[in-house]
Amino acid sequence: MAELEYNKSSNVNIDGTQYIVVKVGNEQYGIDIGIVDNIVKMQRITRVPKSQIYYKGVINLRGDVVPVMSLRTKLDMGEIDYTNSTRIIITKFDANAFVGFIVDEVMQIVTIKDDELESPSFSKAADTNKYIIGIGKHNDILISILDMNAVVDEGQISQ
Amino acid sequence: MDTSQYLDIFIDETREHLQNLNEFLLVLEKEPDNEDTINEIFRAAHSLKGMAGTMGFKRMQRLTHDMENLFQEVRNGNITVSSKLVDILFRGLDALESYLKNVQETSDEGEEENEDIIKGLSEVLSEGTGKPVQNNSELEKPKASVPIRTDKCKYRNIEIGDSEKSVIDKVRDEHKNLFGITVWLSETCILKSARAFLVFRALEEKGEIIRSMPSAEEIEDEEFEFDFSLLFVTEESADSVKSMILNVSEIVEVYLEPYSNYKKPPAAEIEETVAEVTDKSSEVKQTAAKTENKAPAKQTKAGAKHTARSVRVDIEKLDTLMNLVSELIIAKNGLVSFSGVESQTEMVFKEQIEYLERVTTNLHESVMKVRMVPIESVVNRFPRMIRDLSKKLNKKMELYMSGEETELDRTVIDEIGDPLMHLLRNSADHGLENNNDRIAKGKPEVGSIFLDAYQDGNNVVIEVRDDGAGIDVEKVKTKAVEKGHITYEQADKMSEKEAIDLLFKPSFSTAEQISDISGRGVGLDVVRTNVEALGGNIEAKTELGVGSTFIIRLPLTLAIIQALMTEVGHEKYAIPLGSIQTIEDVEPKDIKYIHGKEVINLRGNVIPIIRLREVLDVVDEENENSNITAVIVNKGDKQAGLVIDNLIGQQEIVIKSIGQYINNAKMISGSTILGDGEVALILDVNTLV
Repeated sequence: MAELEYNKSSNVNIDGTQYIVVKVGNEQYGIDIGIVDNIVKMQRITRVPKSQIYYKGVINLRGDVVPVMSLRTKLDMGEIDYTNSTRIIITKFDANAFVGFIVDEVMQIVTIKDDELESPSFSKAADTNKYIIGIGKHNDILISILDMNAVVDEGQISQ
Repeated sequence: MDTSQYLDIFIDETREHLQNLNEFLLVLEKEPDNEDTINEIFRAAHSLKGMAGTMGFKRMQRLTHDMENLFQEVRNGNITVSSKLVDILFRGLDALESYLKNVQETSDEGEEENEDIIKGLSEVLSEGTGKPVQNNSELEKPKASVPIRTDKCKYRNIEIGDSEKSVIDKVRDEHKNLFGITVWLSETCILKSARAFLVFRALEEKGEIIRSMPSAEEIEDEEFEFDFSLLFVTEESADSVKSMILNVSEIVEVYLEPYSNYKKPPAAEIEETVAEVTDKSSEVKQTAAKTENKAPAKQTKAGAKHTARSVRVDIEKLDTLMNLVSELIIAKNGLVSFSGVESQTEMVFKEQIEYLERVTTNLHESVMKVRMVPIESVVNRFPRMIRDLSKKLNKKMELYMSGEETELDRTVIDEIGDPLMHLLRNSADHGLENNNDRIAKGKPEVGSIFLDAYQDGNNVVIEVRDDGAGIDVEKVKTKAVEKGHITYEQADKMSEKEAIDLLFKPSFSTAEQISDISGRGVGLDVVRTNVEALGGNIEAKTELGVGSTFIIRLPLTLAIIQALMTEVGHEKYAIPLGSIQTIEDVEPKDIKYIHGKEVINLRGNVIPIIRLREVLDVVDEENENSNITAVIVNKGDKQAGLVIDNLIGQQEIVIKSIGQYINNAKMISGSTILGDGEVALILDVNTLV
């Protein structure tokens, strides 16, 4: 927790913000490293009946029970089988609430200056576009920066 | 250093003092001449003022100061206790409580000045004493003259070096006062250095501490007994310095005199008196350690400045825990040494396992006990509430409580206050008749409300009972029909019990008049939701003209429960043992249909069966068992058979929350981690049945 706080505060500086770049489908997304607690390999998931379709269930993270969401489903990309590169990004939004996100692959960690982020030019009307707060560029790769709060927020994609 | 690290202590102690004041005031109203009570009140108010002052909460300090003035006059017999006086004092306490709430949430007391209360206080004061009041008059101290004991004036032993000497000489030239001070802390004081720090802080505002014994570092590290001595330079008078020090809690005695000579201690002219302040709270509670309460379920979202929730723990309970842990280590060692020797028989292994099991079960019980808090901490504010209600509703009533010592898990205690308060209001407002009606019916004029708590097996039962009019079942039915909850036909067929259950439906209130106490139709259904969220249930019993009773059943603890592990398809689900009646093997031919729903006839009872496979959307292929296993569960008087595929067995499970982000249609009350690390979900029987 203390480390996390440290990350958060050291995050907003002149050097820009650090993002964990993940691959989902053919696209690369950036997740603010400040909210990331941990990255774990795919593990046994317990299905929760009647849950939102994008929640795959819950996992045991060192004694904590953590809900896990598939970013593929959330971003309307259709399911594939889990592979050896599949990872769960464990994020922590406040003191007690972890949420895990299943991604196809973790690529790298990049630092992007805040003023280098471009606003997304496409319409926000499309359901999945509203999760993107900006587009960053790193070595000619386009990275869509995800607004994780919007992603976990309830009630945008109906089940 | 700043005061923020003492905020928790401040909040705890202030809450305790406020609660005491509430209780004492109630006593005082009934027995205006009870001197002990007046003294207790005075002491509590005084400590409260001191603490608020040290923490820099000026508004709290001012309000308590004015209240204290009033108590002072009461104590001196200049003012008689009237209902008006008690009213304004209660308003003052409420205002202090809201300050405290602000402090707890934001670490600041807020902006509310409560001028009207302060004005009210001074009005009462001037009416009573017949003289105008100065708001900021010099603080009055409780004083008892005790001859000074030289051996306690340890400041005389302070050795001073050259640097101090030059300071002292300088002070003399400047005509400031130099005091030698020895402060004695209460021997039950837990945080000695904190108290010492508060003294230092108070003094440093008004002057300079030139020397302390032991040194400041030693005091900070608690390397001292129960006293410390100071040399203090100030422009203040001896009395005001002493009162500043005594404002800090848990200080027993202060010895202070002008430090005139640094070579030989002054012998004769001692005319100082010693003030004694005993801190009630520290006397009563000899409990020592504080442990942090790590509740797995129901954790509130942490705000930016969330103060830690704590439980005061009896030292004996901790000792037991310690012993059990030692035993656990022994058992583990037994296993370790055994694993080295191959020739040992299986017998020894089993013995060790059994030993381990016994110890862990005991350990669990003890830890559970540590989390237990007497229900008193919740119910002790109710007498005050009933008094207020009695005035507001203009009905005479009396609250009788029993079983306040009954213990419940801390998480339950935190949540049960509101539902109970609601039920009590309900009884006061709807249950009890007007005084005139009561006399006409031949009942005692003063209505009675009872709050009884007791333990019943693995449950704690809390009953709220009144001797009022009872619930008119026919009226409830008519109302339900009017509101469209049920039809006439349904109303006709309804049993009394079912009709009373209607009261727990959302937006259902039979009160003819909507008051601000209850009757807005957001009552009993919320109570039920809250109680059920705690894993409990509530039922009502009533007899027309005699009274009604609301019975709440709560589990002793939330954290660990006994559960039956079952399999549905390949998924594992836990069913809390508390709600299971029996497990039945049912032959397919015994399943009958009523209104298109599957039921079985179990020893004369028709019980609906619920196929968990379908309810839980389990997709695994069905196994072709000829017989069906049904777990018969009950919720109140209702029963249902849950159809499962496999029984695994009974297990003690630790409940883990699955978080607030994932929906589950309320069918899952939580989860648990099994021995192999897999997560299993716990079924919420209340929603399923």
